[in-house]
Amino acid sequence: MSDKPGPKAPEQDIVLRVNDLHTYFYTDLGISRALNGVSFDIPVGKVMGVVGESGCGKSVTALSIMRLLPKSSKIIKGDITYFRRPQHNGSAGASDQIKQKSENGQQGFWIDENAGKVQEIRLNDLDPMGPEMRHIRGAELAMIFQEPMTSLNPVYTIGDQISETIMLHQRVNKAEGLRRAIDILEKVGMSNPKLIVGNYPHQLSGGMRQRAMIAMGLSCHPAVLFADEPTTALDVTTEAQILDLMRDLQAQFGTTIVFITHNLGVVAQMCDSVSVMYLGRIIEQTSVDEIFYNPKHPYTSALLNSIPHIGSRSKERLQPIRGVVPDPYSKIVGCPFHPRCNAFMPGKCDKAMPAQTVISPGHNVRCFLYSDEVEE
Amino acid sequence: MGSYILRRLGYMAVTLLIVTILGYIIIELPPGSYVESEVERLRAQGGNLTQGQIDALYRRYGLDKPEYVRFWLWISAFVRGDFGQAFAYNLPVSQIIFDRLGLTLAFSLSSLVFSWVVAIAAGVYSATHRYTLPDYVIAVLQFIGLAVPNFLLALVLMVFAQNVFHMQVAGLFSSQYVDAPWSIAKVLDLLNHLWIPIIVIGASNTAWLSRVMRANLLDVLNMQYVQTARAKGLTENVVVWKHAFRNAIHPLIMVLGSSLPGIISGETIVAIVLNLPTTGPIYFNALIQKDMYLAGAFLVFLAIALLIGNLGADILLAWVDPRIRYE
Ligand SMILES: Nc1ncnc2c1ncn2[C@@H]1O[C@H](COP(=O)(O)OP(=O)(O)OP(=O)(O)O)[C@@H](O)[C@H]1O
Ligand SMILES: [Mg+2]
Repeated sequence: MSDKPGPKAPEQDIVLRVNDLHTYFYTDLGISRALNGVSFDIPVGKVMGVVGESGCGKSVTALSIMRLLPKSSKIIKGDITYFRRPQHNGSAGASDQIKQKSENGQQGFWIDENAGKVQEIRLNDLDPMGPEMRHIRGAELAMIFQEPMTSLNPVYTIGDQISETIMLHQRVNKAEGLRRAIDILEKVGMSNPKLIVGNYPHQLSGGMRQRAMIAMGLSCHPAVLFADEPTTALDVTTEAQILDLMRDLQAQFGTTIVFITHNLGVVAQMCDSVSVMYLGRIIEQTSVDEIFYNPKHPYTSALLNSIPHIGSRSKERLQPIRGVVPDPYSKIVGCPFHPRCNAFMPGKCDKAMPAQTVISPGHNVRCFLYSDEVEE
Repeated sequence: MGSYILRRLGYMAVTLLIVTILGYIIIELPPGSYVESEVERLRAQGGNLTQGQIDALYRRYGLDKPEYVRFWLWISAFVRGDFGQAFAYNLPVSQIIFDRLGLTLAFSLSSLVFSWVVAIAAGVYSATHRYTLPDYVIAVLQFIGLAVPNFLLALVLMVFAQNVFHMQVAGLFSSQYVDAPWSIAKVLDLLNHLWIPIIVIGASNTAWLSRVMRANLLDVLNMQYVQTARAKGLTENVVVWKHAFRNAIHPLIMVLGSSLPGIISGETIVAIVLNLPTTGPIYFNALIQKDMYLAGAFLVFLAIALLIGNLGADILLAWVDPRIRYE
C-alpha cells in the first residue's frame, strides 16, 4: 500500500490520514462489507467533500473515524491516524489528567514533551469507549448528524446539551458552561440565544436545531468537524442559510470540515476537495475544480450527468446512472462499478480491482482507463 | 404546573364520584342482601322468623329504603367521616379498616418500590447486554414471573421457606412475637415475614415492567440523540443513564398509576393465601357477604389511592418529559 493513498501532502499539513480502512457489519443476512479499503488524507483547515450514492459508506467512514460504530460492526483492517496539534489538545484542566495518565505508564502519546509538536495518534488502536477516545471525541473530532429533528435529546434544554460538552472537555462549572453555550449560539446566528438556552428541542424549528447542533459541534473548537448530510432534512431556504453559516464559521475558526453529502451542488458551494465513493471505496479524489471540469472516473462523470446544471441547454437530458448499486453483502470480482459502467472493458474490469493511482498532482483515480495498476 | 395540578384535582373529584356511584351499583347488583342471607342462615339453624322480625332486621340495617336514598344517606355520612356499620362484625367500618388500610398501603408501596428497582436494574442490564447469557437468564426469569400465578408463587415460596429455612411465614409475626411488646427481634421477625409477600405481590409486575424497560431502552439506544451523546465524548454510563434512560422510563411511569389496581387485587389473593391482616381478605369477604358499607368504604379508599397514584404518575411524567409540561 506504500505507493498509493491520497494526494500525498507533507504531514505538517495533514490532520487526519485514513489508510486502507475496511469496516464490515456482521448481520443476520451475512457480512456487509461497508468499507473495502478507504484511503484519504484530510488537509488542515480545508473542507473535504465526500460524495456518493446512498449506501456507499459515507456515514460508516465518519463513524469509523469517530469510533462510533455499532457493536455489530468492526474495523477489520486499516489505519486511522490523527495528527494532533497542540492548540487542539483539550483544555489546560484536561491535560493535567492526561499527564497523570502518562505517569501511570499508559499510552505514550500523552507524554508532555510532545507539547508543541504534532502528535500521531492511531485512533483505531484506542478503545472506542475508553478515556483517550472520549477525550478526543467531542473536543478534537466532532460530528453533526443528518437528522436535526432527532439529534437533540428531547428531555434536556438546548443550554444543558451544549454546556454538557463544554463542561466535560473544558472543565468549567455549569454557569460558565452556559455562558459559553450562549456565546457559541450567538456565533451560529441564533437570535436571542439567552432565551434559546432555556428551550427544549421541540420548541425549535429544524433549521434552529441544526444551528444548535453546529454550535454543539464547534463548542470545543475541534480540529475536525464531520458534517454528515447536515442539510438534507431541511428545506431549500434553510439549507442555503445553514451552508452559508458553515462557510462563514469555517473561515472564522479555520476548522477542518469533512462534508458528507450526496449533492454535488453542495460540494461545489462548500468544499475545497472532494472524494467520490462507490461501494465502500474512494474511486476518485481531487480538487473541486477538477471534479467539475475534468472528471476522470466514469462513475464521477455519470454522477455529474445525473444532476441538472444551471445554464445547460434544455435539450440536454439528464442521464440517470443505469443499473442499481450492488448490495454490499455480495463480493464483486473486479471493479465494483463495472456492471454499470459505460466504459466497461471485458476481461479487464471484471477480473481485477484497479489501484488508486495518482494521475496528476492532487488528482487520483481508481480506473483501468488511466493505469493498469492492480490492487493486490 | 400549578393550574395543571388544580385542574387534575377537579377531575379527580368528579372521577371519584362516578367511581363511587358505579361501585355502589355493582355491589348492589347481585340479587339478595345481607339481611336475606342472614335470614337464610337463621332459618337453616332451625329458627323461624316472622315477617315482622324480618322487616325489623331490614330497618335495623337501613335496608328498607329505596336504593338511591340509601346511597345518598351513605355518601353524605361518608363525607362527614361516618362510614357506617359493618354488618357481619357489628362494628363501625372505620374500626375495621384503618389499621388494615395502612398495612395494605405499606405492602403495595413496598412491592411497587421493589418491582421498580428490580425491573429497572434488570431491564437496563439486559438492554445494554443484549444477547449475552445474563440477558437470556433474565428473560427466562421474566417469563416465569409472568406465567406463574401469584397465589402459586406464594405457596411455593411458603413451602420453600418452611422446608429450607424452617421459617414460619404465614401471618405477620411468628407465634412467639404476636403478643410480645415491640423489640428489635420483633422488627426483624416482621421483616422476615414481609419479604415473601412483597416478592409475591411484585413478581409479575416486576417481570412485565422489566420487559417493557428492556424494549424501550433498546428503542431509545437506537435514537440519533444517543449517538449525539456518545459523539460528545461522554462515558457509556452517562449516555445510558442520563440520555437514554430518561427517555425510556416514560412508558413505565405511564403505567405506574394503572399498575396499582393490579397490585391491590394481587395483594388480596396473596393475603388470603399467606394469612395477612390486610384489607384484601376483608374486602373479599365483605363482597361475598354483601356487607355493603364495609365494601363501599374499601372501594372509595382504593379509588382514592388509585387516583392519587395516577396524579403522582402524571406529575412525574411532566417532570421527566418537557413536551408534556408545555402542552
Ligand atoms: N447498522 C448497520 N447494520 C448493517 N449494515 C449497515 C449498518 N449501517 C450501515 N450498514 C451498511 O453499510 C453500508 C454503508 O452505509 P452508510 O450508512 O455509510 O451509507 P451512506 O453512504 O452514508 O448512505 P446515505 O447517503 O444513505 O446516508 C450500507 O450499504 C449498509 O449495508
Ligand atoms: Mg449516511
